[in-house]
Amino acid sequence: MVAVTGGRVPTRSDASARDDRSPERDTRPPTEAVVVSVVAGAVAVGAALIAAPLAGAVVGLGVAVIAVGTTLLASERVLLWGAGIGVVGLAAAGYTGAPPEPLLVVAVALAVAWDAADHGLSLGRHVGRGAGARRNVAVHAGSAALVGVVAVGVVYLVYALAAGGQPVTALALLLLGAIALASAFK
Amino acid sequence: MTAEGRAVTSGGDDDEPTAGERADDGSASDRRPLRAFDTGRWVGVVGVALVLVGVGVVLRQPGPVLAGAVGVGYGLYARADDAPEATVAVERTPSDESPDPGDAVTVTVRVENVGDATLPDLRLVDGVPPALEVVDGPARFATALGPGAVATFSYAVRATRGAHEWGTLRAVARNRSGSRERETRVEVGTRLVCTPSLDAGGDLPLRGLTTRYHGRVPTDVGGSGVEFYATREYRRGDPLKRIDWNRRARTGELATLELREERAATVVLLVDAREAAYVAPEPDADTAVEASVDAAGQAFSALLAAGDRVGIATLGPHDCWLPPGTGTEHAVRGRETLATDPALAPTPSDEGFYPSLWFRRFRRRLPADAQVLFFSPLVDRYAPTIARRIDAYGHLVTVLSPDVTGSDSVGRRLAGFERRRRLRRLRGAGIRTIEWDPGREVAGQRETERGEADPGENGRKRGDGDGTGREGTGRSFPVAVAHATGRWSP
Repeated sequence: MVAVTGGRVPTRSDASARDDRSPERDTRPPTEAVVVSVVAGAVAVGAALIAAPLAGAVVGLGVAVIAVGTTLLASERVLLWGAGIGVVGLAAAGYTGAPPEPLLVVAVALAVAWDAADHGLSLGRHVGRGAGARRNVAVHAGSAALVGVVAVGVVYLVYALAAGGQPVTALALLLLGAIALASAFK
Repeated sequence: MTAEGRAVTSGGDDDEPTAGERADDGSASDRRPLRAFDTGRWVGVVGVALVLVGVGVVLRQPGPVLAGAVGVGYGLYARADDAPEATVAVERTPSDESPDPGDAVTVTVRVENVGDATLPDLRLVDGVPPALEVVDGPARFATALGPGAVATFSYAVRATRGAHEWGTLRAVARNRSGSRERETRVEVGTRLVCTPSLDAGGDLPLRGLTTRYHGRVPTDVGGSGVEFYATREYRRGDPLKRIDWNRRARTGELATLELREERAATVVLLVDAREAAYVAPEPDADTAVEASVDAAGQAFSALLAAGDRVGIATLGPHDCWLPPGTGTEHAVRGRETLATDPALAPTPSDEGFYPSLWFRRFRRRLPADAQVLFFSPLVDRYAPTIARRIDAYGHLVTVLSPDVTGSDSVGRRLAGFERRRRLRRLRGAGIRTIEWDPGREVAGQRETERGEADPGENGRKRGDGDGTGREGTGRSFPVAVAHATGRWSP
């Protein structure tokens, strides 16, 4: 004998309660989000390997952690660790004196990989795999990639025009000025 | 703003939710946005970016500085906009608004963005009635909708007895970067009424409490009938054909044959619908209330067909009382009551149940010559008490109990043992009891109705019924009733 109030049939007051972790639903992230994340991660690893092999390995580790965190562990914390390792790899590539162009690609691809993975996890919790989410994932990943491309375009343009022969410190000061300006508008 | 106006007017239309018109004004929906909140995504991205910039400055390398600048770009992206209100008009269409129990009903939900802002990240969670089980696909959907864009998704539910009302559809909208989230509750009235047809059961063994109307319950009253009852002295005016001519020939005395009178009974079907009765042998099996309602339906039509007056009452927090009656109209009303009365809803009610108040009201309503068929799983102490109390007031009680106890754990066996003890004590107190196995019945029905046997399920149910080897279980309701009829003399 099972008290059904705890089983399939909830009481009326439970009906509106959030059942985001219901056992009957497939709460894994939608396949599309996982695919986008893995592809972006592969791009990041490829670009990092071109820039600096050792740093590429570190970025590869970060991307692997993100992939595991999406598919197996379903944990945002693990995703953050993966992204952190990727950023460390990025810094390491900078340390070895890699040219800035592949590093920009790594940065955007890493951001998209983490973003798609994290978005996929929240989608999995809200609607689950099996509910249609293709359009949602496409729009989200598309805008993240677009923002990255625009940012890279602006940054690289400023670098190419303004920083010819300027020391790096000047670049950083320029960036800080931009941040101060942006937050003042905010 | 025009979009807002449209939403408001269509929201006004929704105030008369008649079942027939629902499909026409389906775009009408009442929206209630909740406050937007931070999801915590992208938090710290600017900090990480500035660390990268610092690293670049220290190392005198442009690469990390530029990468950090891109990170700052993402930080701005996360702060760029707020989560929009989900300005959606929702239309929900079940493929069948009055299905039979067990039918799969496909529910199609059409969502239109009636606002003039894009909803880049929209997640929809439909408020499926608690008693309906979603059998195909989650009742959820994620999409992105531009202004005026339409998305459609569908899922299937298995219909169960009762009137089911869809609740709130929750629309969760995030901004483009996903840094802010806002939930909007959309009210869309959709109703699904599932009325089972009442299967006529066989003869029900009633007890000897009858009305003065002619019927089919044999009484201990001599008069006109078909069965021999007694002989008595001839009185002037007795019909010639009732005179015992054999005796007259033998002894010369005139005697009259008395026949057993058959009269109609007044029966009240009392269904136990307290929260304690919402129990099932397995989490996905039908509850004892479902089994009781199903059996009460069979009893209702059988008794009406036999000319008895039948009423319906529930033992539970909601008040439900159909006075005993006869006739076609009464049959329809009884069918409605059993199918859709909120007191017999497929899920328990939240309201409190006050036994003494209930009993007083029930006693006041019960006609003096009514007997009671009490449908209860008998899984708590109160149910047998109420049966004995009603019996003590002179309303003869027959307890019909679906056996919903399992036998695969110590606790379940204990519950089964306690239930059998309650049944024994009821029998000891002179109350008739019938018990049946609702799982067996469902298995049998599915086999015959669909023609496709589900071997796993049937096998398991069979196994359960046979494995216990208890007296009284493993029988479906009609079989148990037929068995009891054979055993009991009126």
